[in-house]
Amino acid sequence: MKILIAEDEVALQRSIQQYLERDGNVCEVASDFHEAQQKVAIYDYDIIILDINLETGSGLDVLRSLKKERKKAGVLIISANSSLKDKLEGLDLGADDYLTKPFHLAELNSRLKAVLRRGKFGGDDHIEFHEIRIDTRSRTAYVHDEAIALTRKEYDILLFFISNQGRVLSKEIIAEHLWGDNSDLLDNFDFIYVHINNLRKKMKDVGARYIKTAYGSGYKFISD
Amino acid sequence: MSAGLLILTAIALFVYTRTLLDEEIAEELYSQIAFIQQDIDAGNSPSSLKPIIEINEVSRALPETVKDTLMFDPRQNELELFRELSKTIQSENRWFQIKVRVLFIESEDIIFGIIFSFTSIFIIAFLILFFINRSRNEKLWHPFFNSLDKLKDFSFDAKEPMVFEASNIEEFNELNGRLNTLVLKINSDYSTLKQFTEDVSHEAQTPLAIMQAKIENIINQQHISDSLYEELTSLQKDIKRLTQLNKRLVLLAKIDNNQFSKAEKVDLATVICERIEDFQDISEHTFKKEVSPNSNVIIDSYLAEILTNNLLSNAVKYSDPKSMVFVRVSEHMLEVSNKGTTAIENPERIFERFYRESSNKKSTGLGLSIVSKICSYYDFDASYSFRESEQLHVFRITFIK
Repeated sequence: MKILIAEDEVALQRSIQQYLERDGNVCEVASDFHEAQQKVAIYDYDIIILDINLETGSGLDVLRSLKKERKKAGVLIISANSSLKDKLEGLDLGADDYLTKPFHLAELNSRLKAVLRRGKFGGDDHIEFHEIRIDTRSRTAYVHDEAIALTRKEYDILLFFISNQGRVLSKEIIAEHLWGDNSDLLDNFDFIYVHINNLRKKMKDVGARYIKTAYGSGYKFISD
Repeated sequence: MSAGLLILTAIALFVYTRTLLDEEIAEELYSQIAFIQQDIDAGNSPSSLKPIIEINEVSRALPETVKDTLMFDPRQNELELFRELSKTIQSENRWFQIKVRVLFIESEDIIFGIIFSFTSIFIIAFLILFFINRSRNEKLWHPFFNSLDKLKDFSFDAKEPMVFEASNIEEFNELNGRLNTLVLKINSDYSTLKQFTEDVSHEAQTPLAIMQAKIENIINQQHISDSLYEELTSLQKDIKRLTQLNKRLVLLAKIDNNQFSKAEKVDLATVICERIEDFQDISEHTFKKEVSPNSNVIIDSYLAEILTNNLLSNAVKYSDPKSMVFVRVSEHMLEVSNKGTTAIENPERIFERFYRESSNKKSTGLGLSIVSKICSYYDFDASYSFRESEQLHVFRITFIK
């Protein structure tokens, strides 16, 4: 997958790049508005991670010229501004998703994959991982082509795990993915344990043992 | 001082009147006797007219006397004081003692007259002066009280800046000028401060994002010890706290800066039921709803979500897990109550920024102040009370229509 990271904070740009390249993605970076404009005009990307507040201009303008040239790249906006107005404006202009800083890289990664899946660019509604197949349209998971009954949360966790396979996911990251800002209401992570343990058991029953414990309290989805 | 002067004047007036009257009466008595003497000298035989005039022939000249005497006045049917002059006159070797009497004004009457008139004058003068003064003062101080009233209404939330009008009284004019400068300065400082809060909170998001991302990369790239992992994830929790704090500060600043002008009809019943569903996912509380349909309130839909969310999250945070949370919604009010054993200590401060009744680390101390901010933005009334009988902390929003 070819990704452009248009973000003027170099440290953040590097971290995103590092995280995404581990999946074998090809990442290019643009550190200011003009560089972003240029790269978008010359090359084709599968997906563009676009900061709205680029030092020398607005990411929204990059988005506008991208849409004008009818490029097919998926666009995920990252912004320090959590206001609804900015979000709506970005989505109205044709962005596929909007993420407010700060975010977890795992969250960014799973959103990127969702954007790709939505079929704008060569994606389809199916994700496969060994014997597991997920149909994101009907929100169903299959193991060896056999549908398994998952609750809404279990399905979300499984999708999040597969999107971030091989990565360590802390309970906090998972909680925030599932419940957003309200996750800080959790007294403890019993709720997550329950969901993950149920999922783990259901997967194990059909022979899919990929949910591993990492560092004692985190999780990792990986084949041996 | 003036009362003393008044008494002195009254005494002087009394003495003066008394003397004047005495002289006048003496004069009258003497002139009556003179008339009688004239009459006798003319050869008329004198006759008495009792009790006013009494003429008696005597053998020799008696000494002249003046005295006061009480006599019966048939008209008034009572005893009256008369002054009597008794004088002996001689006419052709005959002596006549003539007594003339005149009705005499008593001192008490004079004093009473003086006191009465003085008191009347005093009261009338007082009343007239009072009303004149009052109307003059009102006119004179009008600009001052006008400014004072405006100051009482001073609020940072005012839609229009406060202006103190020029007055034709120099001192007030100067005062209003100063007030104008002061209000301008306060408003500009306040908006700078608001902008500052928003800017700082925004600016902090990017470094937080960098920290967050770096921690995730460290966890994923090298194999680290379990304890280091715990340290790093605990750092992530702190980053999350800062993030939440920032988001809320930005929200407060945005409400202050009138960035939510899109009020629409929102059915709070639907909004709160959706929020309750979310909360049921992550808490063991039981939610008891008493919801009337079509609880429509004019509000920005995003703020309606925040409002209900913050009230619910407050109830969930500060009550025992597995306890009940009561929610009542109608088009007039929204009430969220949670169980508790004692009323909070400082109910008047509960809606203040960063005020925490308990040292609950999960709290940013801003949730309820956002509630209160949203309420004051829409002129809703937010209140807290503790219902002893049911052991309930009750947070109520009243929508004033």
